[in-house]
Amino acid sequence: MSREGDEPDARGARVRLRFEGQELEARTDASLVQAWLDAGLPLVENVGCMGQGVCGACRVLVRREGEHAPGESVQTALACETRCEHGMEVTFVDPISARRPRPYDLRALGDSWTAFDRIPEIFPEAPHCRHCGGCDRACPKGIEVERMVGLASVGRAFDAAPLFDECVMCNLCIAACPEHIDPAHLGQLVRRLVASLALRPADLMARLREIEAGTQTVDVEAEIPEEAP
Amino acid sequence: MSAGVPREVALDAWRARRPASPTTAPLDRDALVRRFHPDHDANAMVTLRVGSAAGARCPAELAALLQAGSPVRDVDIAGAPHRETDVLVIGGGGAGCVAALEAARAGARVLVASKLRLGDGNTVMAEGGIQAAVGEDDSLQRHFEDTVRAGRFAADRVLAAALVSDGPAAIRWLIGEGMSFDVEPGTHRMGGRLRRARVGGASAARLLSLRDQTGLEMMRVLREAVRLQPGVEALDGHPALELLTDARGACAGAVLFDRERRRLALVHAGATIVATGGAGRLHLRGFPTSNHYGATADGLALAYRLGAALRELDSFQYHPTGLAAPAGLAGLLVSEAARAAGARLVNGCGERFVDELAPRDVVAAAILRELEEGRGVATRDGALGVFLDTPSLEAETPGVLRDRLVTLCHLADRAGVDPAREPLLVRPTLHYQNGGVAIDPTGRTSVSRLFACGEVAGGIHGRNRLMGNALLELVAFGRRAGVAAAHEARAPRSGPIGVAHLSDWQRAMIAAGLPLDACSPQLFPSYGNFDLAAALTEGVA
Ligand SMILES: Cc1cc2nc3c(=O)[nH]c(=O)nc-3n(C[C@H](O)[C@H](O)[C@H](O)COP(=O)(O)OP(=O)(O)OC[C@H]3O[C@@H](n4cnc5c(N)ncnc54)[C@H](O)[C@@H]3O)c2cc1C
Ligand code: SF4
Ligand code: SF4
Ligand code: FES
Repeated sequence: MSREGDEPDARGARVRLRFEGQELEARTDASLVQAWLDAGLPLVENVGCMGQGVCGACRVLVRREGEHAPGESVQTALACETRCEHGMEVTFVDPISARRPRPYDLRALGDSWTAFDRIPEIFPEAPHCRHCGGCDRACPKGIEVERMVGLASVGRAFDAAPLFDECVMCNLCIAACPEHIDPAHLGQLVRRLVASLALRPADLMARLREIEAGTQTVDVEAEIPEEAP
Repeated sequence: MSAGVPREVALDAWRARRPASPTTAPLDRDALVRRFHPDHDANAMVTLRVGSAAGARCPAELAALLQAGSPVRDVDIAGAPHRETDVLVIGGGGAGCVAALEAARAGARVLVASKLRLGDGNTVMAEGGIQAAVGEDDSLQRHFEDTVRAGRFAADRVLAAALVSDGPAAIRWLIGEGMSFDVEPGTHRMGGRLRRARVGGASAARLLSLRDQTGLEMMRVLREAVRLQPGVEALDGHPALELLTDARGACAGAVLFDRERRRLALVHAGATIVATGGAGRLHLRGFPTSNHYGATADGLALAYRLGAALRELDSFQYHPTGLAAPAGLAGLLVSEAARAAGARLVNGCGERFVDELAPRDVVAAAILRELEEGRGVATRDGALGVFLDTPSLEAETPGVLRDRLVTLCHLADRAGVDPAREPLLVRPTLHYQNGGVAIDPTGRTSVSRLFACGEVAGGIHGRNRLMGNALLELVAFGRRAGVAAAHEARAPRSGPIGVAHLSDWQRAMIAAGLPLDACSPQLFPSYGNFDLAAALTEGVA
């Protein structure tokens, strides 16, 4: 059968896997979340967007068949994006939060001459990155976390910020970092700095001035034509 | 629904006739919508018999939750631990986070209770963008008229005016919190222009975005801001089960379920904001949904038992193109961007059947007609849909998939389809609750000290929502409700706090001959294998 004519249902071979210690039977076109629900197991946490892969709630540790060698590391993944494979061993990862909260007031970092110097003050461990790559291996989105940390810790916020475009705040990089750097929150700090200090669209500002001056108003009673102009 | 054309046969028909004709036969749009849009399915609707909306039509699945008993009894709360706060926010999605930030900045102590984790809701899933009239060729008045017109003239005009008037300030506020937006290519972040797109039903390009991840960017920023905001505490895994009232019947907080400890936890609050989002996971009429796992209309059920007025309960938005297969991904959104780029919809006979860029309710109704009349594409698994012809689009505009439809490619990959070679199977998916809890421009409901904002609130969109207005709503009305609630919370409270309103509710239910054994809110989808009653007894024992 050609690839084109292949039915989605024809791909779903049945496989067996272990999820939180339970033996499940699942189809290879089902995600791990789907397999869990299909097995009749209760799902009241570790879930959010259910397949879009954007909320970072469904973190799992996955060991694949043949990875039983001692010391062999398991992989982290998002359960709603990971399809079932034969012999997988899966466990949910409990919610991870930063080991130490890092308070800062974004609006108090308003001076763009000094704001970027403050990054290592707020994240004092960031310059201690030992380049172990643990964060990169942990990230289910393939983000260059280590590189972001390096750039951010020397104040290169504009280079660092876009590396975290796809971050879903699953916090797996926080759990992976032996230096307690909290890359996920560091990534947010640089992204937020870049926007709040250096995004000033002229069209938006012009419209805000008009609203302030009272020249942009809404006539609530207006006669509105049925068809758009 | 009829069986449809087997997928192999449909693929042959599609190959033989591609590319599909550039024109489509004219349609009587009104008749089509009346006949095929789910909102007009009289069999799926019931008339409410108790409560403030008695007499109104409402989908049966939602009515079952509105006209239900409470999982909480007087005796259950007697021994439960309780805490005090100024403002309680129920639901930590976009609207809840915005309200919490603004309430705290107005001086209130704030507690945000979430069913899942802070931020895990519909907001993070939004792809397209947010509307705000910033263009020189645009105006607040145009945005207002587009909103009211798209809503079939059913919106509360004062709310719609408040929405659009807040638009530019909402974008400024979001930038201040650290959210990025795309700028027009070739212009600069300082002094440049925001990138704008025009969406169906809008008379100007007004949709602002960050690529196709606008909601992800917004929710990341809001969650981080809430986490760092002094005066706000977030409680994850604490769904609200019932609202509390004081001696005068004003809302006085809520009964939460502490999921980890499996016990009730009471919060007494000077003002309560319901921000629980939408209802897609009720799967009305068996429809798949684009919504997150917790979208089960909880806030509607809670507010209704307390007597809050609801509106447009019979009006939902069905997005025309959700994935139809495989089962595990069914309902996930295939963004309108594909059709905007020129992808056509093709039925099981290889024919085009609708102008793909007609309003969403029209396109959805047209697809449902194809499915109902046997021209859908059927997989061996029993999934039914129509083709979204991405291969022809790619052939006409080489590179378009890779360059402009990144999220679509990602989704197709997980569905096991190469979108450059095979069309995607799509069908309408339950997407948005147009109506909800009636509010005034400050987010106040008809119940004293109870506020609502975000998707759970009603009146802003009338009977149909313009794409991009939901993200604007959650910022505009989240801010309004947060500030108003912080002020309201300072007013003195009266008398003992409890669930006295439940006895009136039970009397009304009995008088209407309705059973009291079914409880709401539902909290999780029916396939979530969760039994609240069992969880509660287990915890108490
Ligand atoms: C796939 C998708 C794409 C979209 N794209 C766009 C777009 O491009 N533009 C646009 O404007 N709109 C879009 N929308 C709509 C928009 O995202 C939502 O309407 C909006 O984000 C709703 O925000 P909210 O804060 O009201 O709800 P949510 O973000 O859903 O938050 C509600 C929160 O309340 C919690 N909750 C629910 N019940 C309880 C309870 N009993 N106790 C405690 N907490 C509870 C939920 O778990 C959730 O965290 C899209 C929606 C979806 C699903
Ligand atoms: S960067 Fe960290 S928080 Fe973001 S997706 Fe990767 S592992 Fe998760
Ligand atoms: S895990 Fe921590 S120490 Fe290791 S590379 Fe990443 S940021 Fe550096
Ligand atoms: S459920 Fe949201 S990323 Fe998996």
